[in-house]
Amino acid sequence: MENMFLEFFSNTGYAMADYRHVVMILIGVTFIYLGIAKHYEPLLLVPIGFGILIGNVPVFKGLGLGIYESNSVLHYLYLGVTSGVYPPLIFLGIGAMTDFSTMLARPLLMLLGAAAQMGIFLTFLGALALGFAPNEAASIGIIGGADGPTAIFLTAKLAPELIGPIAVAAYSYMALVPVIQPPIMRLLTSRKERLIRMEEPRVVGKREKMIFPIIGFLLTCFLAPAALPLLGLLFFGNLLKEAVVTERLAVAARTSIIDSVTILLGMTVGASTQADVFLTSQSVGIFVLGALSFGVATASGLIFAKIINLFVRTKINPLLGAAGVSAVPDSARVVQMVGQEEDPTNFLLMQAMAPNVSGVIGSAIGAGILWSFMS
Amino acid sequence: MTGLEAIAAHNGWAIAAVGVSIVFSGLTMLSIVISQLYKVLDFWERRDEFFQRMKGRGAVEDVPRITVSPDMKETVRQYRMLADRLGKPFSLPRLLDLARKCGLVNPHSTINRLLKQEIIVPDGEGYYHWHQSISS
Repeated sequence: MENMFLEFFSNTGYAMADYRHVVMILIGVTFIYLGIAKHYEPLLLVPIGFGILIGNVPVFKGLGLGIYESNSVLHYLYLGVTSGVYPPLIFLGIGAMTDFSTMLARPLLMLLGAAAQMGIFLTFLGALALGFAPNEAASIGIIGGADGPTAIFLTAKLAPELIGPIAVAAYSYMALVPVIQPPIMRLLTSRKERLIRMEEPRVVGKREKMIFPIIGFLLTCFLAPAALPLLGLLFFGNLLKEAVVTERLAVAARTSIIDSVTILLGMTVGASTQADVFLTSQSVGIFVLGALSFGVATASGLIFAKIINLFVRTKINPLLGAAGVSAVPDSARVVQMVGQEEDPTNFLLMQAMAPNVSGVIGSAIGAGILWSFMS
Repeated sequence: MTGLEAIAAHNGWAIAAVGVSIVFSGLTMLSIVISQLYKVLDFWERRDEFFQRMKGRGAVEDVPRITVSPDMKETVRQYRMLADRLGKPFSLPRLLDLARKCGLVNPHSTINRLLKQEIIVPDGEGYYHWHQSISS
C-alpha cells in the first residue's frame, strides 16, 4: 500500500516538476495578473496566461495529455494553430469590426503603416545575423508587425517549433505597447511636432466604404497572393460589416466567431509553451529581437512621418507614425495619450486609426512576402 | 554562421529590400486608388447631369449654320472685332456708337442688315450676341 502511494506520488505533478515548470507557471500567473489587474490586453493575456498554466503541469508522456502528443485533446485544439486556421478567422472578426473611414479619408496616412513594417525586415536581418535559420528569422521578424495572428500564421507555416515563444513574445509586446512606445515617441519628436493638430477628415460615403474591401482585396492579394488567407478574410469581414444587408453575419464574425477563436488560440498557444521547449536560449533571443523589432517599427513610422512633412504643405503630426505598428487599436490609443500629454484638447485617435489599420494590411502583406520567399 | 556573413549567405539584404519595396508599393498603390475612389463615385452619382451636359454640347453643333455672303465677310469681321471689345452679350447702341467713332460707313444700315440676316441675334434681355455658327 505504501508502495502504491509512493508510486502514485512519483507520478504527480508535484514530484515531476522542476524549476523550469515553476518559472513558466510564474510567467503564466504574471500574464493573468497583467490582464486582469493592469488591463493589458486582457482578452489575450488571460487565455494565454491560463494556457501557460495548463501546458506546464508536468504530465506523463504517452498518456495522451500533452499538447505535443498526437492523440491528446489539447493537440486537436492546437491543430487550429499549426494548420493556420485560427489566424484567418481572427482576421475575419477584425475586418467585421474595423472602420476604414479615416484611412479612406486620408490615404496618405496609409504610408505610415507601410513604413512601420520596416521593423519586420530589419528584425529578419537581425535574426539572420544572430544565427537563426532563414525560416526562423522570417518568423521572428514578423513579430515587428505587432500582429499576433499574423505572427502565428507565418510561424505555423515556416517554423512551427517556434510558435510558442513567438506567439508569447508577439502578444506580450502588443500588451506592452503603452509601455514600449511612448519613450521612443518622445525621443524622436519635438514638442512643437507633438502639438500639430490634424484636420478633420472628410465624411466618407457608405458606397465608398462598401467598395473599398473589394478593391483592397483585389489589389493587395494580386500583389502578394501568399497573404490571401489573412487579407481575404479581413476584407471579407469588412464587406460583411459595410454591406449592411449582411449585418447578422458581421455580428457573428465580430462576436461569437472571433471570441471563440481567441479563446482557443490564446489557450493553446499558452499551452504550447511547455518548459522544456520554451525555456531555451533561442526563446531569449526571440524575446530580445521582438522587443527590438517593436522599437524599430515605432521609430520607422515616426521618422517616415517627419520625412513626409518635408514635402507636404499641411503638416501631419509625426506621432501618428507610431500607430503604423498594427497593434489595433492600442498603438492608436497610445498616440492619443502622448498627444494629449502636450495638449489635452488635441484629439489624434481617429486620425491614428488610419496608419493603424493600414499597418494590419501591411503586416499581412509582409507575412505573405516572407512566406513566398521562404517556401 | 553569424553576423553580416550570415545575412549575405542567406540573401538577407535582397529579401529585406524587395520585401520593404513590395509592402510600400502595395500600400502606395492602394492609397492612390482609394484617393481617387470618391471622385469616381462622385462622377457616377452625377452621371445623368454629365450626359445631359454632353448632349447640350451636341445640340450646339445642331444649330443651323448661316451663310455669310462674300461681300459681307469683311463687314462681319470688322463689327465682330468691335463687339468683342464690348464683351458678351453686347449692347446694340454701344456697338453703333463704337462703329461711328471708328469711322465705319453707314453703321445704321449695316447693323440693320446684320440683324435681318440673323448674324446678330437678340438674347431676349435687351442685349445681342453673334449667331452661334459664327465662330469667335
